[in-house]
Amino acid sequence: MPPQPRTPTPVDARPPRLGARIARRVRAALRDEASRRARQARDAAAWLWARRPTPLRGVAAAFAAAVAALGVWGILFQAGLPARLPAPLDWAAAAALLARDGRPGDAAVPSPAWAERTREVLPAQIPVLALPRLDREDLVGVRRVWLVALPDLPRAPWRAEIDLLERAARAEGPLRLGAIEVTRYDVAAPALPLAFLPDRLAAATVTVGDGRCAPDPAGAFSCPPPGAARVAREVRDVAGLARPCLVVRPDAAAGAPVTISFADVPMGRTLRGHAAAIPAPPGEGAAGAPLRAPLRLALQIDGDEVGSVELTAAGRWQPFRIDTTLHAGSARAVALLVTAAAPDAPAVCVDLVTLP
Amino acid sequence: MTASPGAAAEATGRGGGRRIALAAAGVTLAALALLVRGPGVSRDEAEAMAAAGRQAGVLLSAPAHPLRAAADADAAFGGPRPHPPLAETALGLVHASLAKAGLDLVAWRLGAVLFAAALSFVLALLGHDLGGAGLAVLAPLAFWLAPRHLHQGLLATPDLAEAAAWIATFLAWRRALLAASRRLQLRWIAAAAIAFGAAAAIRSDGWAILPLLAVHAGAVRLRTRRAIPALPAMAVVGPLVVLAAWPWLLRAPLARAPAAFFPLAAPAAWPFLGEVVRNGPLGPLYPLAVTALTLPAALLAAAAGGLVHAVVRLGGALRGGEASLEDELLLLLGALGPLGLAAAGLAPFAPGLRPWLPAMPFLALLAGRALLAAARTTWPARARPLAGALALLTLYPALRATIHHFPHGASAWNEIAGGAPGAASLGLARQDGGEAAAAVLAALAAHAPRGARVFWGAVAPGAVELYRREGRLRADLADAAGPEEADLAVVAVEGRPRELEARVWTAFRTARPVAGAYLDEVPLAHVYARPGAWR
Repeated sequence: MPPQPRTPTPVDARPPRLGARIARRVRAALRDEASRRARQARDAAAWLWARRPTPLRGVAAAFAAAVAALGVWGILFQAGLPARLPAPLDWAAAAALLARDGRPGDAAVPSPAWAERTREVLPAQIPVLALPRLDREDLVGVRRVWLVALPDLPRAPWRAEIDLLERAARAEGPLRLGAIEVTRYDVAAPALPLAFLPDRLAAATVTVGDGRCAPDPAGAFSCPPPGAARVAREVRDVAGLARPCLVVRPDAAAGAPVTISFADVPMGRTLRGHAAAIPAPPGEGAAGAPLRAPLRLALQIDGDEVGSVELTAAGRWQPFRIDTTLHAGSARAVALLVTAAAPDAPAVCVDLVTLP
Repeated sequence: MTASPGAAAEATGRGGGRRIALAAAGVTLAALALLVRGPGVSRDEAEAMAAAGRQAGVLLSAPAHPLRAAADADAAFGGPRPHPPLAETALGLVHASLAKAGLDLVAWRLGAVLFAAALSFVLALLGHDLGGAGLAVLAPLAFWLAPRHLHQGLLATPDLAEAAAWIATFLAWRRALLAASRRLQLRWIAAAAIAFGAAAAIRSDGWAILPLLAVHAGAVRLRTRRAIPALPAMAVVGPLVVLAAWPWLLRAPLARAPAAFFPLAAPAAWPFLGEVVRNGPLGPLYPLAVTALTLPAALLAAAAGGLVHAVVRLGGALRGGEASLEDELLLLLGALGPLGLAAAGLAPFAPGLRPWLPAMPFLALLAGRALLAAARTTWPARARPLAGALALLTLYPALRATIHHFPHGASAWNEIAGGAPGAASLGLARQDGGEAAAAVLAALAAHAPRGARVFWGAVAPGAVELYRREGRLRADLADAAGPEEADLAVVAVEGRPRELEARVWTAFRTARPVAGAYLDEVPLAHVYARPGAWR
């Protein structure tokens, strides 16, 4: 084989520069390292695969891991709970805040609704409305709501906050007091009552037919014969919430309705109210159970019937609204007539309020 | 005659099991005896104490005044809601014997603690039979470290006695089935029959043991062609035990027999997930949901794993595997039978786990066995340390929860529910029946004026009387029939409609309590006072 002629070296073919050489070496080193690592990973995977647990062992290990994880969760849950609860100092701070900034027309709403230590520690002049939802409540007489929330509690609900945000014109806060958050909401359209009729019972007259019922020292009216019809201003548990109302026990045997007459009631454009037949025994009967015979409630203004409600089931807080625009701006005689058809009819819880 | 090596080994094993069982019973007795004064008295417990007192009174007066005792027996053992009386009679007799030493509440509950110790003993024995020393230790721990189980062990009610009788019957049944000699078998058959009779004489759902074990006997017979002589013995001796414990049935057997089989619960209601649970069948989901929301989460997972483990082993046994069909079926019947009875409304109607409490020792066994099996299978070379670690991770959170909730064990809900606060948000019951009012007695003693009249809302009159006798309630404080006549009102908050509390607000013209008992901010009891009636 004849010798190949030597290729002359080009004049500009100089050895690579130092930087390029270093880069090439680094690339090579990285390539070697990567392939070495990949080989190691492949070997490890093969080693693990060769020693893979049997399905039974895998299930056992997964079960053990799940139990262990739940155990750790249980420990962390118990350990973390005290920090999520308000300390006495937090409650004292919330009480001091409301005592300082509270005004007539304010109310406090605990969230969650069951956090009723608020009743015990907040200033007495601020009523506590322990309501899980506020979207369907009238909030009569409330201009501002202080939401006292415990947001760190497990399963802390947000429904009250959402309802208040929908109803508020303005919100201030939240102010964090340890584990308590206090937010003030100004109600956009407060329902400011002209008269809350249950509170006027002392000045009312109560009759059954022609018989007049006499007030007792506690402020309740008992009608003849003794033990028959009775009317009192009470707080009753209706549909899961405590509600101030007129509790009227009708007397079917009397053959006439129980009539509660209020004189000189300042009227606005609306007469609003709610009524519910109280299950017997109270608080125990099934809400919504049909009554043996319906109970009829009628409302009269100056002797003319302006509306009526029929209660057919126990325990339902049934709302009603009567347009009183014709009488707005004047004081009128308002009468509530409760008629029972069955002899053992349940008592009725009624609230009535006149609104501008 | 020399014993065979197998019999000797069995005897040694049994001896070890007995020692562990005795230790478990001793520890249970000592621990619970120290805690008996903690929980308040619920309405059901007060009712059980009253019935127990009447029954013990009749029995103790019988030797001296047999005619009067016979006349009183009908009312004492019947009453408005007749129910099997054995546990209450035993509690009454223990109380009567200890009351001479000046003990009252403690005397009532020490009887219950004896039942608790018996349950630990039997549970450890069955654990040892099924899984050796490890399970003999683990099963009682897994049962007692659940907050509600410990609480139940402290109460003078028949539920824990019923659980002890159930598991004793199953243990005796199993030992009768596997007995090495005819003599031993006869012994265990007699034990099974008596334990079954006791279960039926404690609660009306105890009768269900017989059909459950008949299913077991049928399966064993199909598979092994072996007859189980315990079944006829139980069918004969069980009713005799019931009649001996409850002679009230003999006066009008036909008319009164239904009381021995069907629970007659007082009208009761409690909230559950926003709904109100009332008398009647609880439905299949209710017992499962309550169990899932009350057992500590790790223990719940272990119990659920144990159930699955037993089902898988049962399937394996049916296919001819090495697992014992007898044991797996027995454990599953013991764990699921009471749950089914509660769902069907055949167990007494009561809040919490009480209707299906007899299932819980079986679930504890299954949980312990599953943990040990998981450790053995996962890492055979380090099975013991792994089992120890798993047991620690399962039991420590349960112990911590039990300590945290004491003495309000009936208010305990697990991590899944979110503890007491999460449970209140979910609309779950806050207590069994007014027992948390005991937590405000100290405040009442400190602040109530002398001679004040107290209205007790949702608190059993028997409980109030007991607090007074115990000195926890000041003797000068009188009871008021209604809030209208009261200076002070103590109202237990149960999460149900709060009509009584609303009556107090009306009468006192305030909704502001002066004191309260809270568990993690969840109100359990409130004290209201008229102006000037709280110093």
